[in-house]
Formats: sequence, C-alpha cells, structure tokens
Amino acid sequence: MKKVFSVVCAGIMAASLCACGNQAGNATASDVKAQEKNGAKEQITLSVWGAQADQALLKELCEKFAAEHPEKDWQFDYGVVGEADAQARYLEDPAAAADVFSYPDDQMTTLVEADALYEVTRNADEIKSANVPASVEAASYGGTLYGYPMTADNGYLLYYDKSVLTEKDVETLDGILAAANKAGKKVHMDVSNGWYIASFFLGNGCKLTIDENGKQICDFNNEKGLEAAEAIRKFCDDPAFVTGDDSVLQGGIGDDICCGISGPWVSASVKEKLGDNYAAAKLPTFTCGGKQVQMGSFLGCKVLGVNTQSSHPVEAMELAEYLTNEESQARRFEALGYGPSNVKVAESDEVAADATLKALADQSKFAISQRVNGAYWTPAEAFGAELEGHTGNDLQAMLDQLVEQVTAE
Amino acid sequence: MSRHKKMVSIGLHTLLTVLAVIWLIPVFWLLISSFRAEKGAYTSNLLPQRFTFDNYIRLFTDTRLFNFPRWFMNTLFVAVCSCIITTLLTLMVAYVYSRLRFRSRKGLMNISLILGMFPGFMSMIAIYHFMKAIGLDQTLLALILVYSGGAALNYYIAKGFFDTIPKALDEAARIDGASRHVIFWKIILPNSKPIVVNTAINAFIAPWVDFIFVSVIMKDNYNNYTVAKGLYTMVDKANIFEYYTSFCAGAVLVSIPIVCLFIKIQKYYVAGVTAGASKG
Amino acid sequence: MILLNLIYFLAEVVLACFFFGFGFKYLSHFGTLGENTQLKVWNEELQIYERTTGDNSMLILLFSVFTIAALILFIYILILLIKNVRAIIRLRKEGKHIASFRELLLDLLDKKFHITLLAAPMTTLVLFTVLPIVFMILIAFTNFDSDHQPPGELFTWTGLTNVTDVFLGNATKTHTFFGILGWTFVWAILATFTNYILGMLLAIVINHKLVKFKKMWRTLFIISIAIPQFVSLLLIARALEPAGAINVALMKAGIISAPLPFLSNTLLARICVVIINMWIGIPYTMMTFSGVLMNIPAELYESSEIDGAGVLQSFVSITLPYMIFVTAPATITTFVSNINNFNVIYLLTGGGPFALDYYQAGKTDLLVTWLYKLTVDHHDYALASTIGIFIFMIVSTVSLAVYNHTGSVKREDMFQ
Repeated sequence: MKKVFSVVCAGIMAASLCACGNQAGNATASDVKAQEKNGAKEQITLSVWGAQADQALLKELCEKFAAEHPEKDWQFDYGVVGEADAQARYLEDPAAAADVFSYPDDQMTTLVEADALYEVTRNADEIKSANVPASVEAASYGGTLYGYPMTADNGYLLYYDKSVLTEKDVETLDGILAAANKAGKKVHMDVSNGWYIASFFLGNGCKLTIDENGKQICDFNNEKGLEAAEAIRKFCDDPAFVTGDDSVLQGGIGDDICCGISGPWVSASVKEKLGDNYAAAKLPTFTCGGKQVQMGSFLGCKVLGVNTQSSHPVEAMELAEYLTNEESQARRFEALGYGPSNVKVAESDEVAADATLKALADQSKFAISQRVNGAYWTPAEAFGAELEGHTGNDLQAMLDQLVEQVTAE
Repeated sequence: MSRHKKMVSIGLHTLLTVLAVIWLIPVFWLLISSFRAEKGAYTSNLLPQRFTFDNYIRLFTDTRLFNFPRWFMNTLFVAVCSCIITTLLTLMVAYVYSRLRFRSRKGLMNISLILGMFPGFMSMIAIYHFMKAIGLDQTLLALILVYSGGAALNYYIAKGFFDTIPKALDEAARIDGASRHVIFWKIILPNSKPIVVNTAINAFIAPWVDFIFVSVIMKDNYNNYTVAKGLYTMVDKANIFEYYTSFCAGAVLVSIPIVCLFIKIQKYYVAGVTAGASKG
Repeated sequence: MILLNLIYFLAEVVLACFFFGFGFKYLSHFGTLGENTQLKVWNEELQIYERTTGDNSMLILLFSVFTIAALILFIYILILLIKNVRAIIRLRKEGKHIASFRELLLDLLDKKFHITLLAAPMTTLVLFTVLPIVFMILIAFTNFDSDHQPPGELFTWTGLTNVTDVFLGNATKTHTFFGILGWTFVWAILATFTNYILGMLLAIVINHKLVKFKKMWRTLFIISIAIPQFVSLLLIARALEPAGAINVALMKAGIISAPLPFLSNTLLARICVVIINMWIGIPYTMMTFSGVLMNIPAELYESSEIDGAGVLQSFVSITLPYMIFVTAPATITTFVSNINNFNVIYLLTGGGPFALDYYQAGKTDLLVTWLYKLTVDHHDYALASTIGIFIFMIVSTVSLAVYNHTGSVKREDMFQ
C-alpha cells in the first residue's frame, strides 16, 4: 500500500513541477506562428464543438476543409457540446473550450461580455453580404460581427396532422382546439417554457428586449400582457391542451396528439411519424381581448464563434468561415434539413420547397430576434407552470412578480 | 388457532405480493422500454407495440456517437481502482481512530466527520482546476483520485466495526512482539471481512451511478466518459427521442452486475450499517 | 536522523521552488484578485484583434489558497527541521545514541504507525476536500457571478455583501432562502421517518414466522435499488408528467378525466417526492432491519418469556427498543444525507414547480439543489458559496449535537 501511495505522491509532485514549466508557454498567437515557420509543414490542431446530431456532418466538412488546405497538417478534435450548452460549457473553463464552437445568437451578450469571441475582421464584408441581413444582425453586438452565421432557423412553428386538421383550422387557435376536441385529440405546447410562452405576449404587442445599457426590458404586466395571460390560461384549461417537452410531441403526434409547437429540430422525427399526413404552418392567431391576434415568436440563428483563447485564431477563423460558406450550408440543409442563413442557399428551390422552412419563413414576419438575459427563463417557466397547474392565482399579481424578477438588475 | 394462522399467513403474503408488484413496476417498465421498437420517451400506448433487441445491439455496434463499450470499460477500470484505494484508505483511517491513541485524534475525528457534510459542487470547480494544473484534467486517473480522495471522511462505520474486535487480540500479539503495522495487516484486517466487503462494494458502486463529478472533470472528452455520464447524455434534450430506448437498454446492462452484487452482499451491508451502533 | 534532515531539507527546497516558480505570481495578486482583463490589440498583418493574456481572478484565488497551504507546510517542516537539528546537537552533547534512519522507519511502523497510516488519506483529504472548501468559502466574499466571468471581467473582494444580501438586502433572496430552508427540514424529517417506520414494518412482515420464502421477498425489493437512481428517477419523473404513463393509465382506466399536475402543483409535487423517496429508501431500511431482527440476542427474549410476556408486549419492550438503539447512528446519518438529498429532488422535479416569488428556485428545491442550480445553470458562484456555508453550518451543528447525544445514549450500553 505504501508503495501505491508513494507512487501517487511522486506523480503529483512531478506533475506539479511540470505544470510550473508549462505556465511559461502562454505566448501570443504570432509568437507561435513565428516558431513554427521553421518546420516543414505546420501542424495545426483545432477543436470543434457541435451538437450530437451534427457530428457526422461536422467531421465530413472538416475533413473536406483539410483536403482543400494541404499546405498545413490538420488535426481536429470533435467535442459533443450542443448549441444550447455552448455558453455554459465555455464559461466553465474558456481555455479548455473548443477553438470553433456553435452557439445560438441569444447567448451572444454573455459571451461577448466574457470576451469569449473573436470579432470577425477577416473577410467581414464578404460574410455580411453572403448571409441574410437578419442573421448578420443577430450575429452582431453593438455593430460588430462576432461570429459566422450558420443557420437561420432557430425559431418555432406549428406541426400538424393533415388527417385531423385542415388548413382552415390551423389559422386560429380556437379552430384548432375545436377540431381537436371533436376528434378527441390533443394540442401540444410547452407553456412552462419562456421561449414558447413569450409568443402570446409578443403577439399582443408586449416588449421583451435589452436596451443599449444592457438592461432587460419587459412589460408583460401591462394591460396587453394581462389580456395575453388570460388567453394562455384559457388555452391551458382547454381539455385538448397537453404540455410537455419535445419528446411528448415527438412520441404522441399522429396518435393522440394532432398538432404541436416546436422548432425545426423535431421536423425529421415528426415527418417520420406522420408520413403523408405531415404538415407545417406558421403559428395560429388567438383570441385576445375579443380580437384575433397573431402569435409572435422568437427567431434566431446559430452562429459559429472563434474562441479568444485559441492558439491558432487565424486558422480557426478560416475553418469557421469554411463551415458556414455557401457550399457547407447547402450540404447542411441536404444532410440535416437546417435552414440556411446564406442568401443563395436560402433562395434555392430545394429550400423553398421545404414545408418546415416555409412555415418558419411565414412566421418570421411576426418574429423578433431574441434579446433576453438569463434572468428571464426561470420566472417565465414558473409563470407557465402556474397556469398548467390550474392554480387560479391572480394573473395581474403573477405578471407583476414575473416582470419584477425579469427586470431586476 | 390454526385457521387464524392461515388467515394471517394469507394476509401477509397478499400484502407482500402487492408491495413487491409496486416496487417492481418501474423495473418492469425499464425492461420493456429497453425492448421497445418505437422510439422516444413517450408513446401513446402504454405497452410497446413491437419488441426488438436492436436497442441492445445498437449500444455495442453504433459506437460513433455513443461509445457504450468503451464507457463500460472506463467505468470498470475507475471502479476497480477507486475501490481498492478507497477501501485501503478508509480502513487505515478507521484503524487509526479505533486503536491508536495520539494527541490530535479527537479533533481530527470531529473535523473529518463534518467536512464530509460540505455540499461539494463549488469545490468541484476548484478540483477541476487543480487537476488541470497538475495535468490530469479529463483523465480517468483524475476521476479515480476524486472518488477516493474523500476516503478519510467515511471512517465512521468501519471504526465502529473495529471497535467490536476485542482488544485482547492486539494485546496478545503485542506481547508476542508484533508491531502495530503487523497487527493491522495480520490481525485486524482478516477479522473484518464484513466491513471490508461493505466498504469495497460501496466504493465500487459509486462510479457507476455518479454523473455530476464526471461532467465537471471530463467536460467534452467523450472517450473518457463513464456509463453514468454517457447514459445521462443520451437523455438530454437533444438526444432523448432518438436514444431513449437505448438508454433503457444501457441502464439494464449496468443494473445487472449491481443487482448481483447487492444480492451477494446483503449480510455485509447490514453489518456495515449496524456496526457503528454497537460501541462508541 | 541526519538522513531525515536531508529529507526535510529536500522537501523545503521543493516547496520553495513551488513557491517562487508557481505560487508567488498568484499570491501577489491575492489582495485584488487581478487588475488586468484580457486586452485587444489590433494585428495589422493577420487582420485580427489579438488578445493579450490577462489575469484570471478565479485561478489567482485558487492557486493562492494552494500556495498559502504550501507556505504553512514549509514553516511546519522548518520547525521540524530545527527541532531535529537541536535534538541531534543535544544528543551529541550528552553522548547518547542518535537514532539511525532505519530505526526511525521502524518507529513509523509501530509507535508512530498513525502517521504512516494517516499520511495518504490526509494528503488526499487536504488536496481534494479541505483546500477546495477553503476556496469555496473565500468565493462567498467576492462578487463572482455571471457578470464577472474571467477572463472578460474580473471579480474582486466584496466583503459581507452576499451574506447581507441573503438575509437583509434582497427581499426575494431572503424569502427564497427561508422558504427553501423550511421545506428542506420538512422534507428531511418526512423522508427520514416515512422510510424508517415503513421500512421497519416491511422488515417485520417479511421476517414474520408465517411468511415463507423470506429470501425471495427480500431479493425482490432489493432489485429496485440496484438500478442507478438517475435511471429509475428519470423514468418515474417521465411517467408522472401530464402526458406520462401514470396519467395515461389513470385516464384510460377512467379514474380521472384530465391529467393530474403531479409535478406542477406545489402540494402534489411535494407529496410525490416524499412517496417516490419511499420507493427508493424503504428497501435499504428493510435490509438493515432484517439484519437487525435476525441478530437480536436470543437471551433477551428468553427472560421475557419467563416473565410470561405476550408477543405484542415482547415486541414493544424488546424488539422495538433494540432496533431503535442499534440503528440510531445510521438514522442520524440518513437524516443528514436527506438534508442534502440531491438526487431525488434534482432528478425527479428539478426543484419545480418553479415559483414566481423565489429567486431561481422552485417549491420542491432543497438548499443543496438550489445551490447546484445557482452554480451550474446561473454561474452565481458567490451566492451559491454563501448558501453552501449556511448549509454546512446547519448540517454540522445538527449532526454534531445529535452525535454527541447518541454518544451519551451509547454509554448506557443497555444491550451490552
């Protein structure tokens, strides 16, 4: 036993001494470059983060990139970190985060504040003109472009079963509920989720954004907000209403669920379950204060960012640019069905013919880009959970609490 | 009287059957989910429409995204190593507190007792950066160190057990000229089988069920995940629909060895729990 | 002893190396936790804003803690060294025998065996538990939160702001803290005693004279604990959701017409976590009590039989007190671990239903799950550390008090 211990101890000692030595090696990128110029072929190791589902494509595109840039010896480390987790994983240890990683544009504010992202300064004009203006705007903060737009489909839409609901039904929420009740089917929406529940408030003209000082603005507790909240309560109390996360929709649609609201990432599985009955549409209108009001929504994009801690920033930028160029975006749409941000790909016939992306494009007229800080999500979920739990508490008081928490400094 | 006895017997057996069914429903649910052919965490039908072995086969063949066999081996390696180290360290500490008398004994015992009650999530971040500084971040060795690092805190049960071993045994050996070193290895340990087994089993099981420490230490290093972290990744938002049934299959595979262990060590488990009470 | 001095000296050299080579540059910033954030410098050749390496408050704090620990060790060894040298000089003067290195080693295996045995466990304890805890406690006196994330933004000392924030300054946080604290205790009491009493009853039933296949029954209940908790709890959580299996089954059976909000209604959710915890915990208590029941010394019953006591009476006067006595320490441990029962709450409800009057928490959150979420989801490290310290104070007070109490109970040695 003592042997084991002494080995461990010696290991720790030795390792800590090594660490002392390593500390000196934190040189700037240009030093590294200068050193490596002497070698025959520069070896570049880049780590890349992507979601689980994107790994195969990511690998394919990275290898293609390497093949097209034979002047260097490329090596890629792939990490499975989905967009939703990117910010949290990054902040845990920036130095251990990937050189190139994808994130949804709503995480931009936090990432820029933590000085996590390189500004796009090389070929910036080309990138800006190649992608749709909304995606460029979403990838910018204070007028500076902080990433390479990759997709423009980070929003949500209505999926429905053509055999139960008609095109006319899905125009209004009342129509949907009436038809669903008649057929004995359910209507799915994750109301206890700030992302989805906002659509009622935004639709009725409420504001949720961040002002120029970085302060969260939210006015869900005004008259319009109260009207919207009453509409949500009515919706939740309807017998056809069912809540739950995406997997409820994916598992139930076509069986006892006839329609549901979610993002493009479930479209493949919904298509698989519905087959020929698959249909998608923009969000419906809902009755609010006696009028029909179109539901609003968030629409954002996924962006590739280059880590400021990267030891090969220029190469990382080249890779990020390659992974988001026209060709790569076309391939990404073909392989995974993600809506492109590249103007040319977005205008292609294939994309125009995609029902899901068409519905998302229809909805985009009523969508805003997501400018929300971290304080919004938990109270919004709490508000939704109250309505789902049919607690019957006073809506105005709840909205006041919601706004107070969301806008607290 | 015998009629009365029969009634009681029937009553008790019925009660036990009902309870056993309640306790086994989730297990049964896990089993049938692992054989379900329909994907997803929810289905509209309570019972699967079709059964399949694919979920199991997939765990071992489709290793591009989820490398279950590798995770299984990782976990086994970590579990065996940390089991050996933890058991030795725990028993050493327990023996010291039980048999040896020295100045700071009481103070050390009390401090160790309450140190373990510190909620450790913040210190995990510190441990991660410490591991990184010594070049061990994202390695299995780091995980072993983390799992066995707190061994000195769990002396309580083993100490209670050692206290029950008659002091006369040591004293006889000392008269024969044995040093304390010899007494520990030759007398105390051989007489403590239940507590050795109990400590070892608990240390062995920990790596199979912990997913939090692994996330902090391993970050995005997929190849060094343990099964618990791997399975947990299968059911996060983005993967749950596709991998839920495989998750169930993996969970069954992890549970089988643990079930066997638990059935085998029942009596030692009890020895561990009650040892602390027999003597202060 | 001279060789020993050499070893001490070598250790001093290593520690000094560590201090000047590594520790000092962190310790020198300890007072401010760093001044320079990462800066941008325009590189015309590469056309990028290069970053200069800035300070990192967290690493400064962490490695300062390690450096201070190394300093303390340095001083300690220095004292040992001086003592040792003095001893040698004195022994020389007196012409006594100076212990050889071999003798010293042998001493470590016998008289000083505790040092040998404790060396490894204590080293790992200090490195992996004590120093990280010190680091965590220090964090509570800084403003380390999502707005102060190195390397972009540094954090610094703020004194007692977090403590006053929780207890006086911020009404929502105060309300959340006391709300969660109350529920944590209710939960710990309910969770401990439901499991204790029902587990005991189950063990008594299984061990009843008339029950056949005792081993089989025990095994059936044990199977459920062998499934890792994160699996079984996740399954159950899914089954309890509005579209989950339990609601579907109840609706198909026609018992309810609309899904029950098991996890979104405060009261229902709290009842659910306690009941599910029984499913988790009762097999353990059953196993314990089965073992205890089988081990009750037979003499205890013999004497009561002579007194002509009935079955019930001997149960009340012998079985019950014996079981309570034997399991007392384990029960206290269970109570303490229920205060910190992360798994059941986090995996089952995630703390939900979330509450509008709570700060980033829900109605089934325990202090420990709240702390976890503040750390991992919201990067509110300073607040989380403050709460961590309070959890620690509560739990350690409770358990030390109770341990000492049972210590006095034990001294009575009623069954020895």
